Amino acid sequence: MINVERAVSRVLLIGGSLAVVLMLVGLMTLQIRAARTAHPLDVAHVVENREAGRSIDVFVSLPQLARALGRRPPDPVAIITAGIVLLLATPGAALVVALVAFVRVRDRAYAVICTALLAALVGGFLLNVGG
Amino acid sequence: MSDVVFLVMLLGAAAGAGVLGAILGLGGGILLVPILTLFFGVSLPYAMGASIVSVIATSCGAAAGHLTSGLANIRLGLFLALFTVTGAITGASLVGIMPPRVLQVLFGLALGYSAFTTIRQLHVEVAESLATDSLAQRFGLHGAYHDHVLGRDVTYHAVRVHAGAAVMFGAGVLSGLLGIGSGAFKVLAMDTFMRLPMKVSTATSNFMIGLTAAASAGVYFGRGDIHPVIATPVALGVLVGSYGGTRLIARLRNTTVRKLFLPIVIYLAISMLLRGLGVLR
Repeated sequence: MINVERAVSRVLLIGGSLAVVLMLVGLMTLQIRAARTAHPLDVAHVVENREAGRSIDVFVSLPQLARALGRRPPDPVAIITAGIVLLLATPGAALVVALVAFVRVRDRAYAVICTALLAALVGGFLLNVGG
Repeated sequence: MSDVVFLVMLLGAAAGAGVLGAILGLGGGILLVPILTLFFGVSLPYAMGASIVSVIATSCGAAAGHLTSGLANIRLGLFLALFTVTGAITGASLVGIMPPRVLQVLFGLALGYSAFTTIRQLHVEVAESLATDSLAQRFGLHGAYHDHVLGRDVTYHAVRVHAGAAVMFGAGVLSGLLGIGSGAFKVLAMDTFMRLPMKVSTATSNFMIGLTAAASAGVYFGRGDIHPVIATPVALGVLVGSYGGTRLIARLRNTTVRKLFLPIVIYLAISMLLRGLGVLR
């Protein structure tokens, strides 16, 4: 017997934790590089205004992010952003696991509900970050 | 303030928001956005972007804990999420067509009614079982959890599913129209309308908010509002805080959770009404 709750719980915890680890690795690399070049990050200044924030590249699309991750050495901001994307995608991954579990226990109503929610989620996300 | 001090303070604030979010079924936006803008000087678009990260991280940490403890009901969450997501898509397509003020007044009144009901039910630990609902039976909207405080298993089933689903749809429209989270409305729909135990309502809301937020997360990401440097401490703090919060809620009574929730409902009711009537911007 498949325990839907346990499977979904595991995906949420693993997805969330992996995302945070990636983000931390990226942030620490960014800090180390900033310290080496004697240009401190000056986080307080960066967060205060949106234009200042643009002084470090913010990725706004998946193809742009994939290109930056492919470079050697990878851009630390791209590593953080990969963590952010993983975090944002985790509820969707949990839905996929729930869908599979409901199909396997032949709960048709909830398999349909999961599919509908998944379609709305993926459609909404790709519409904004695909290009 | 040095970078490290700033990041550590942000981490602490996010952990606090995560603990409260896990107990109250909220994504932390209502707590985190004012903290980020007022105390940390973060610009509003970045604070909103951090809020969406916080909602999803809360949902990951809290729902992971609540699902294994049996407090979050996955079927209930998925069934109701169908209405919030449909509502959110409807709301987003109504931007510029429907004046949000009408909806704000309606929801302000609904929240006022909920606050009144919450006060009346303040000392009710588990609501008396009403006649079961045919939709609840059809979709298996029932469950049981072991209550450590009461020292017994608590069984429950949803009633007035139509009303609960309608409130969920309305909450979705509101979040689509105004770009706000709607964790509080989800909790109220389950607690006030569907007469579910308060802890089941907040735990199930924790699972649902992640789905609703993920549906709109692309908008914030695409606009560049999710700043990597702010998102990292927020995600870490909230994830750890919310997972810890699920341990804390097991030791709380339903009545205690309701008492903690009441000030948020009253605040939301007043601010929604004032915005709807044009007193507040």
